[in-house]
Amino acid sequence: MSDQRVDDADVNTEMKLPPDGGGRSRRKLILAGLAALGVLFFATLPFYYDVHNGQFGVFFFNVFVYVIVAQGWNLVSGYTGQISLGQNAFFGVGAYTMALLWFNDVTKTGYYFDPVLMILAGVVPFILAVLVGVPLLSRLRGDYFAFGTLGMGMIVTVLFINGGMFTGGAEGRMLVPKMPEGVVFNLRTHYWVALLVAVLSTLVVYVMTTSRIGLALRAIREDEVSAASHGVNVLKYKVMAFAVGAFMAGVAGSIYGYYLLQVTPSNVLTSNWLFLPILMVVLGGTGTILGPWLGAFVIYLISWYGDSYFAGYHPIISGVVIIGVMLFLPSGLMGLGQKVPGLRKGGRGSG
Amino acid sequence: MGSLAQILVNGILLGSMYGIAAIGLSLIFGTMRIIFLAQGTMIVLFAYLTYWSFEKAGVDPYLSLFTVIPLAFVVGLGLFYLLFRKAAALEDKNVSLLLAVGLMYLIDNLILKIWGATPRGINLSYSGAMLVIGEIRISWLRLALLGLALASALAVYLFLKRTRVGTAVRAASEDMEATTLQGINSVWVCAISFAIGIALAGVAGVGMATVYSFDYQFGFIFAIKALVALALGGIGNVFGALAGGLLLGIIENLAAYYIGIAWIEVASYGVFMLVLIFLPQGLFGRRGLVKKV
Repeated sequence: MSDQRVDDADVNTEMKLPPDGGGRSRRKLILAGLAALGVLFFATLPFYYDVHNGQFGVFFFNVFVYVIVAQGWNLVSGYTGQISLGQNAFFGVGAYTMALLWFNDVTKTGYYFDPVLMILAGVVPFILAVLVGVPLLSRLRGDYFAFGTLGMGMIVTVLFINGGMFTGGAEGRMLVPKMPEGVVFNLRTHYWVALLVAVLSTLVVYVMTTSRIGLALRAIREDEVSAASHGVNVLKYKVMAFAVGAFMAGVAGSIYGYYLLQVTPSNVLTSNWLFLPILMVVLGGTGTILGPWLGAFVIYLISWYGDSYFAGYHPIISGVVIIGVMLFLPSGLMGLGQKVPGLRKGGRGSG
Repeated sequence: MGSLAQILVNGILLGSMYGIAAIGLSLIFGTMRIIFLAQGTMIVLFAYLTYWSFEKAGVDPYLSLFTVIPLAFVVGLGLFYLLFRKAAALEDKNVSLLLAVGLMYLIDNLILKIWGATPRGINLSYSGAMLVIGEIRISWLRLALLGLALASALAVYLFLKRTRVGTAVRAASEDMEATTLQGINSVWVCAISFAIGIALAGVAGVGMATVYSFDYQFGFIFAIKALVALALGGIGNVFGALAGGLLLGIIENLAAYYIGIAWIEVASYGVFMLVLIFLPQGLFGRRGLVKKV
């Protein structure tokens, strides 16, 4: 996965940024241990807790799905600095890819949770992201990329609503009749699949961003012109981050589609799948690997309890939270943790 | 021929709303270099206030222009000093973008809480009045909207060209750093242009209340439409933004007539994508501005 165009000089300057060596690696080790414990806890939870009937099963399942989308956004916007406002389109396209292929029995397997369909649900948004990303990312940056992706999301939504017989229009596609015989809907499967994909996508983002690719991505975020002049193929890396993020959103969409068993424009293409993951990443800490997890738990908790105790008010609270975080805590909750040991603040916002 | 002329006229009248909103976006973008995504939400908020004063106190919407515009100006100043003052100075424009998203989320849902999800609209005694020229029928209210758009564009143009503050705003749009070095207070310049942008949202809100029915979700769509108009017309030119709005209105009406009403959005966002990709400086914009972003 290495790329020769990131030359060694660039690697060295990047290495100098975090000034202290020892404390950082110990911190990392502790975090990795905690993360492993957390994964172990969630993976074994269904053995001593009824995730199908207990309310925390649905809660954690939703959190995991949001984590997948949020990690995708984190990769393109947090690490690479290209604000994408089209993640809901990728989520919806992924859900629809799974639903329409399953509905029309294209693969003929008839499985529930068909891995082939789930991968295709990522591949189609990946291709869409490359097609949209190459022209948008080669000419423009910043705001204009954001609004180009927003326009893409709008077009995709309208296309699915107007899709007629192919997409099922506003009613979408009902998948309940496609359930194979003898398979009982048990949330336990969804829970594990979502957890697995959430962990995998976190690992993918971690591996990508700690490798040479990550150096290129962060170089682009800090200063695109400087990155280009150091021999980073700016367009290639930006499109790569965008497309991998789209892949993740698409797979998340397919998992959610398997859970709803009905895919409609109003449940998989809403702006919730755009703004909530962004909110989660921003609250947790943009450009940090565990930020999306932290953010997803906090935000989903707010909307979960908000829904039961202050019905209808939680979007207002979410708005206040976004504004508050951007005003007072632009580096998120993870940034708060980093401030305590007196570490230097990350590059965001200081460039 | 009659129907085509009617489509063009309707398009221009619809587009005048987009034009007013786009001029506001253009002013804010010029000095602060951010696209204020909550502009549409502000428009809807002022439309609701106009509607509310009409329903509760029977104030004629056109009369409420005199209260809504100053109110919007003050709201703009307040929002700037509360939220955007620090963010506007940052190199990282994503903070401002997300602040605008948060503001949009907040106000949209406040509107939903206060006024509910039912679409609202004002029915005036003179709503149905039509101007008939040959085969073309024009609603007087929509014509008044075009008048409002032209008047707003002219007012902003005169402000930019004839006043000292306006000159400072223009200078800041050219080069903020150099302007600050000349001793001009950059915070004040940003505040003024932001407040005028929100005041224009007030104008558009009154216009929207008189002609359209609107609900709490309309703001986001409208902000995108204003953005499309701005991209089409080009940034950094008051009349360009207005022309972009009118052009977008015409495109939408043509699409509705020749392809179908369900495809309006695809047409306008399609045009948006094409403009962003192939003509980033817009039809009437200055080339240099986009590159500096």
